[in-house]
Amino acid sequence: MTNATDIAIKITGMNKYYGAFHALKNINLEVKKGERVVVCGPSGSGKSTMIRCINRLEEHQDGTIVVMGTELNDNLDNIDEIRREAGMVFQHFNLFPHLTVLENCTLAPMLVRKESRKDAEATAMEFLEKVKIPHQAEKYPGQLSGGQQQRVAIARALCMKPDIMLFDEPTSALDPEMISEVLDVIVSLAEDGMTMICVTHEMGFARNVANRVIFMDEGEVVEQNSPSEFFDNPQNERTKEFLSQILGH
Amino acid sequence: MSAEVSFGRKVRRDFFATPLDSVITLAFSALLIYLLYGVLSWGIFNAIWGGDSADVCRADGAKHGACWTVINVRWRLILFGLYPYEEQWRSAIACMVILVTAVLSCIPYFWTGKRLALTWISGFAAFYLLMKGGILGLPLVVERDWGGLSLTVFIFSSVAMIGMPMSIVIALMRRSKLPLIARPTAFLIDVTRSLPLLSIMFTAAVVIPFVLPQWLQGDKLYRIIIGFAIFFAAYQAEIIRGGFQAVPSGQEEASAALGLNYWQNLWYIMLPQVFRAALPPTINQFVITFKETSLVVLIGFFEVLASGAAAFGTAEWKFAYKEVYVFVGLIFFVFVLSLSRYGAYLERRLSVEQR
Repeated sequence: MTNATDIAIKITGMNKYYGAFHALKNINLEVKKGERVVVCGPSGSGKSTMIRCINRLEEHQDGTIVVMGTELNDNLDNIDEIRREAGMVFQHFNLFPHLTVLENCTLAPMLVRKESRKDAEATAMEFLEKVKIPHQAEKYPGQLSGGQQQRVAIARALCMKPDIMLFDEPTSALDPEMISEVLDVIVSLAEDGMTMICVTHEMGFARNVANRVIFMDEGEVVEQNSPSEFFDNPQNERTKEFLSQILGH
Repeated sequence: MSAEVSFGRKVRRDFFATPLDSVITLAFSALLIYLLYGVLSWGIFNAIWGGDSADVCRADGAKHGACWTVINVRWRLILFGLYPYEEQWRSAIACMVILVTAVLSCIPYFWTGKRLALTWISGFAAFYLLMKGGILGLPLVVERDWGGLSLTVFIFSSVAMIGMPMSIVIALMRRSKLPLIARPTAFLIDVTRSLPLLSIMFTAAVVIPFVLPQWLQGDKLYRIIIGFAIFFAAYQAEIIRGGFQAVPSGQEEASAALGLNYWQNLWYIMLPQVFRAALPPTINQFVITFKETSLVVLIGFFEVLASGAAAFGTAEWKFAYKEVYVFVGLIFFVFVLSLSRYGAYLERRLSVEQR
């Protein structure tokens, strides 16, 4: 039995439909504070949709989602609260192209957390330092490489001082040589004890960093296990097939 | 291609590569020189510059080019229309005030909501006080007598200032997720766009007085400006809607994920990018609107083109319409060219940021 206060995210009986299409089927998932969960699965399996439900970028139709003790429902205050607690990093970075790197990082803390510009900039520089691009602070996103942009995006999310980080395929849009610089940053966050859910195809990362790997297919959680069990001893046929496809060459 | 191509070689390569190229180049050069010579000899070499009556141009042996004397003598009518002669300095200052306001609001320093609003409110207030008078010892000049360039500039900037926020609101309503708001808005945009501007102006000037109570009507000039602004907003709203569509959906998601609310997202994330994407058609819309101000002459206002027509509308000057139209044309040209060049500057500046 885990204590309720140790739970960061608790999803119970969640279903999501796009019209008649049943996108997520009875998802039950519990993530403890400090836990690092990797979600994998074939494309179209609903893994991105699932983590996008956690901060209401997508709306679920039934079941409950509780994030850091706040239930995600139609109450806008709850949605705002959860979005403050959960930072998100996107596949395509989604930096604001009209703002400098520094402004990207300070905008939300100033508007949402009402921090002073001075405080927000100090925090931003601290996190830009952490992702190793403090010297690019005055540049615009379009002047950076993909890997640098994604690291800025991570810093931007961290500036809101979230309790949870959601990564939605953070390396899928990157050129191969830039993947490791982004993964290194995520690993260092993991070492700091950040709670995170990461949708990714980077199986090496999953094996080394995750506490738990979740495999989804056709909108269902098919299997979940510790990384070593998951990779060395998969139980479900669909998991075995997926792993053979992704690791087979 | 090497950058070190000499001028002579470049000309040969681009214009005289084949015999046919050479013939075309020479033929068009000759035509160009002929036309240019015609214009210059009329406008400059054979033109008459000084003098204070039409007689200088009609005298025997006078040069047969342009008679710029008409501008010399009648420029105050062209620039100020029917505005009382002794008070025309007020119209001139008022016009300068609006121009300075417009130029100031083109400077990035003024690009915050508060500064822009403050600049324009004080600009319009100063314009109104100067033009209308009736206080501070300035004689009253009613709107009916306003005219010339300051009227043109006033109508244009009022239409832009009222129409622009209106167009943003309309574009947002048009994009609403609620069909009850989006559909009627789309219908109203379509209706407004399918009416000629002139009919909207006539409605504002002539029909509205029958419908609205006296105290709500305001002067004819303001009714026309509001009608014009609605017309402008219908077009501009569609331009802005196009701008919204050009912003990737990831932008809205990122700002939502960071916890920005609707208005913060709109103001800090969407609108700056929307205006960037919509800049070229927006400048286009401004240029069209500036030139369309001439239509108010049909409702009885003497904007600069109409007061120009009045300048050659006497027996003495009726031969000099070409000169007056060239002069008024130059005024329009200067305004519209500045608008276009400013638009080009903005695009360059913004593309540096975006890259």
